[in-house]
Amino acid sequence: MVTDPRSSSSVRAAGRVNAPQPALVEQGFDGTPRRVNREGVALVREEWRVVDRWWTEEPISRHYFEVVLEGGRNAVVFRDQERGGWFSQRGA
Amino acid sequence: MIACILIPGFALRAALQARPGLQLGPVALAPGPGKDAVLGPVTASAEAAGIRPGMRLGEALATCPSLTLVDEDPAAAEDAWEGIVRRLEDAGIAVEPAELGCAYFETRGVERLYGGVEAALRRALAAVGSGWDARIGAAERRFAALAAASVSRPGQVVIVSDSQTRDFLAPLPLSLLPLGQEQHEELEELGVGRLGELARLPGSAVAERLGPHGHRAWKEAQGGKRARIRGRRPPGEIIEGLAFPEAVANELTLRRALGALVEQVLARPERAGRFVRKLALSARLVGGGSWRRTLTLREPAAEVTRIRTALGPKLAELPAPVLELRLELVELAEGTGRQLELVRAGGADLESRLKDGLRQVRASTGTGSVCSVVEVAPWSRIPEARALFVPRDE
Repeated sequence: MVTDPRSSSSVRAAGRVNAPQPALVEQGFDGTPRRVNREGVALVREEWRVVDRWWTEEPISRHYFEVVLEGGRNAVVFRDQERGGWFSQRGA
Repeated sequence: MIACILIPGFALRAALQARPGLQLGPVALAPGPGKDAVLGPVTASAEAAGIRPGMRLGEALATCPSLTLVDEDPAAAEDAWEGIVRRLEDAGIAVEPAELGCAYFETRGVERLYGGVEAALRRALAAVGSGWDARIGAAERRFAALAAASVSRPGQVVIVSDSQTRDFLAPLPLSLLPLGQEQHEELEELGVGRLGELARLPGSAVAERLGPHGHRAWKEAQGGKRARIRGRRPPGEIIEGLAFPEAVANELTLRRALGALVEQVLARPERAGRFVRKLALSARLVGGGSWRRTLTLREPAAEVTRIRTALGPKLAELPAPVLELRLELVELAEGTGRQLELVRAGGADLESRLKDGLRQVRASTGTGSVCSVVEVAPWSRIPEARALFVPRDE
């Protein structure tokens, strides 16, 4: 049967707003970011940790850094301490 | 389940429809004008002679001097694909075309009609027709369905259950993944040649090394998302054509012909006064090739001059003299007029104008491209948990 694409009963896939994007980060000896996506970090403005959902099978443990890049742009990156790897994120 | 219908080398098969005598010989799709000198899809006979898709033209001709090159025929390919999709829709299947030669559909709607998943898949194969050597596969996930279709043989039905998906994907080559040449080479250098080998790597390491595309490919290697299929809305069929007695390359003549076509197509009674949202201009070229461009207007229009002005620059892209010019109204708006405003619009008027604008965006970028942001947990400390994008189809 051809379903009406306008039918309100059709199931639609939702996406996440501000989902983390993998980022290429070089870190210093103290663990703070030195370069983000091949651009040097001029200043680390703030850092904080988010530990949440530790009671679930998908716990979250992130170390966030708000940085100013050499080009003058602000960026927020975090190191995922559960799975490893760096990500950038808007809306943080 | 999600089923995938795949016609390997569709562009070549479509180009050979008009020259059936070549189908059994060593034939390859010639590189398009301005593109790299590498071959497109090749016939089985060419493959037996050592020719592979993506091979450099010089190398291919040295390997097989009897190789015949055929030009791409985009208009014939579009027509043939539209015919296949319509035959599937006539069989009761709501199809989501992904690209020429590849389409997805949900089997759930037709399983009871045909007596099970396998019978529904066989019915879909029959609807495509035996001349296309279509492959079909079904799985719970979209990428797994594509993988199943790409390993099946003509006439064979491959169904992969969700529990078998990872084992099924593991031995398959990475070429199934939507990765660029450089990323394929990088993975090969790292000794990763199969989907299973990629799936076993930590996702974050793949993301760091290959970026977002690599991360997406890694997710596909795990089986991919359970994305739903959205059947397309069948397009309208208002087409006007003009065949020239001899090939025309003069832009002025072509512009005049285009003007006449626009007037004829807008005068068609089936349009019923509706405005045009999206058009397609195609041409049959001298030497057997064809050319096609689609255009979504900035806002729906029914004025000859506006449509002519919008389409005019496309004529400069024609690669060869034209034997026939065709104009197709691909999508029409629902409105039949435009009222200039005396007072600033508000309330329901503004809402209906916004809806119309969103329809316009959807016509130009495809379904699922317009979303609303819905807050689900604005208090959450995890930024991506605060809101969702929900596709708006209306």
